[in-house]
Order: sequence, then C-alpha cells, then structure tokens
Amino acid sequence: MTRFDAIDLTRRTLTDEPVVVNLGHAAYELFAAGDRPLNFYTWGSMGLTSSIALGLALARPDRRVVALDGDGSLLMNLGSLATIAACAPANLLVVVLDNGQYGTTGGQATPTAGDADLEAAARAMGVRQTATVHDGQQLDRALEASRTIPGPWVIVAKVDESAPTAKPPLDCVGIKNRFMAALG
Amino acid sequence: MRQIDNHSGSDFRGPAIPRWAAGVSDGLWDGGCRQVVYVPDNPLSHILAAFERDHPLMRATLATREEEAVGIAAGLYLGGANPVLLMQSSGLGNTLNAVGSLLVAFQIPVVMVISMRGDPGEWNSAQVPMGRAVRPVLDALGVSHLSVDRDDEARDVVVSLAQLAFGTRLPVACLLPRRLTVPAGGGRS
Repeated sequence: MTRFDAIDLTRRTLTDEPVVVNLGHAAYELFAAGDRPLNFYTWGSMGLTSSIALGLALARPDRRVVALDGDGSLLMNLGSLATIAACAPANLLVVVLDNGQYGTTGGQATPTAGDADLEAAARAMGVRQTATVHDGQQLDRALEASRTIPGPWVIVAKVDESAPTAKPPLDCVGIKNRFMAALG
Repeated sequence: MRQIDNHSGSDFRGPAIPRWAAGVSDGLWDGGCRQVVYVPDNPLSHILAAFERDHPLMRATLATREEEAVGIAAGLYLGGANPVLLMQSSGLGNTLNAVGSLLVAFQIPVVMVISMRGDPGEWNSAQVPMGRAVRPVLDALGVSHLSVDRDDEARDVVVSLAQLAFGTRLPVACLLPRRLTVPAGGGRS
C-alpha cells in the first residue's frame, strides 16, 4: 500500500468530515486524490496536524474530525497523543501515514524505520482505540471500526512512499476561508 | 461546568485572586473568548482560578508544550471559537514556527497571554535571554503586543487586544510583567 493508496482509500470513506492534512507530500496527495472545501491543507507548522484536529474536534463535537498525519511529524509532537487521550474527544480520528521516512525532504529515514512504534506510543499515552495496518483491506476494516466505536482513534498505516502529482494552491488564507465556510 | 475535563479546578481554591488576574479573566470573557489552552505557571494559575470563580463556563485545555497549544488553538478557531493561549515567556520560544507558519500565515487570531520571565524582578539568569527576546521576536513575526502595567487596566488592555485579534484576524500578545504578577521580593516561577 502506498501513501497515495491509503489517502485515497481513507477519503473515499468520508462524507461531511473535515480533514486536517499534514504539510508536504500528504497534503499534495490528498489534493490530487480529491480536493474539497473541507480539506484543511497545512503548508508549515510541522508536527501540529493532530493538534489542529484535536482543537477542531473539541470545538465541534457534532462533527467527526479526521487528521492525516505523518510519522516524522507526529514524532515532533508526541505530547499530542497524551493530550488527545486526556481530552478524549469521541469524534477524533488520527491516521498516521507511516512511511518510515521524511518523504517531502528527500526520503531520510525516521525512527519508525527502526524500532519506534507509534501505535504503542499512542497506547502508552492512554489512547485506547488504536490499530496498525499494512494493506488496504486492514485499513478499510480499521476505518470501519473507527466509525462505529467512539474515539479518539489512532490508526497507524504502514505505507510506501509515492510520488505526488499535484499541489494544493499556495493560498493559506484562501484555504482557511473556504474550509470555515464549508464547515459552517 | 467545563466541558473539557482534563484539568481539575480544585488546584486553584486557595488565596485571594489578585486584581490583575480577575481583570485578565474578565477581559478575555468580555472579549468573546470561551476556550483557553494553557501550559501552566504560577501567575497564570491566578487567571485559571479567576475563570473558576467568575467565568465557570470558560473551557480550559492543558497542553504538554506551547507549540502544541498553538495547534490546538488554531483548530478551535477553525471550529468557530475565539481561542486564548496562556503561557510563560519561556514557552513563547517553543511556539515560534507555529505562530509564523500557522497563525500569521493563515490569519488565525489567538490572544496569547504571556507571563514574563527574565524581566525586572527575575532571579534566574537562565530565564533572561528568552525574556529579553520576547518583544523583538513578536515584532519580527508581526504580532502586536501590549503589556498590563497596572492592576486596574488589565481588563481594558485584554478587551482591546481581543478586539484587534478577532476583528482583524491576527494573533496578538498580552504581556504580564513580573512587577505586576509577583509581589516585590517574591521568587516563584
């Protein structure tokens, strides 16, 4: 399963869920797979994707919120897992696209290429609903579980790097305004 | 009642709440803020106590690090809230890329209430370099800031900053100097 496959599979399961997506390749591939106003593309603030999604989930308990994070990025902000567990928003799903590398900056290995285990980290911080998936079928099952069992959920999707083919517009304020108007 | 229950208010039932802290709390409430994200310190705990006493509907979320708190606050804003960050000036140093590439770049307004270290009244030399950097760093990022210098102006300073933030969609900072927050000769962080 490539990162694009995982992103495409995840976004096909969504209806009106807002999505916060990590900067770089993850944002590029979500845009290529299917742009929509409810995608919040980050262009900086590496590490904060899950935190932005947490704030959104707390402000909007009526909406299911999805974060598409990366392994290198989540490793910058592991405390976020503790805060997510402590706040325990039932409406939050964090999908970690774990390719074991800093894909956007040239493919340097991250610690998850070795023994670092982000699902174990989430559990250690108190997140109870977690999964690690290695192919599309497993990801589909985990996503289905996340729709029926209240979260917060952390799904670690082990993926291969893929080559993005498009980029979202470099218009941060436009992305935000469009997102907030669609969220209502 | 707080909806977000990862912070126990019972820590803050204690001595009288200083006037400046009640003023900051009132200013944030009157400025339309209902969501606070914080990394604690001693002066800020007075503001949290004032929320408990005077504005119990204010929702407070504890973050593990100030940069993380910026992300949570940004998400709260995207979801329709007018968010507040409470942090020490040392913690501002932990937020800088997030303030620039998320709050300023996306025009996401947040009121940052920053209790100062390293300014007059400081006793710890390790706190001085970041304390001295606070205003130049905020200026470099384009974040407007104002300090509360007297007990009786706290509410009005905070209301005016909240108006600037949420009216013009920019992050702003309210600085709380040690001369305001720490009794003369006091040494608590």
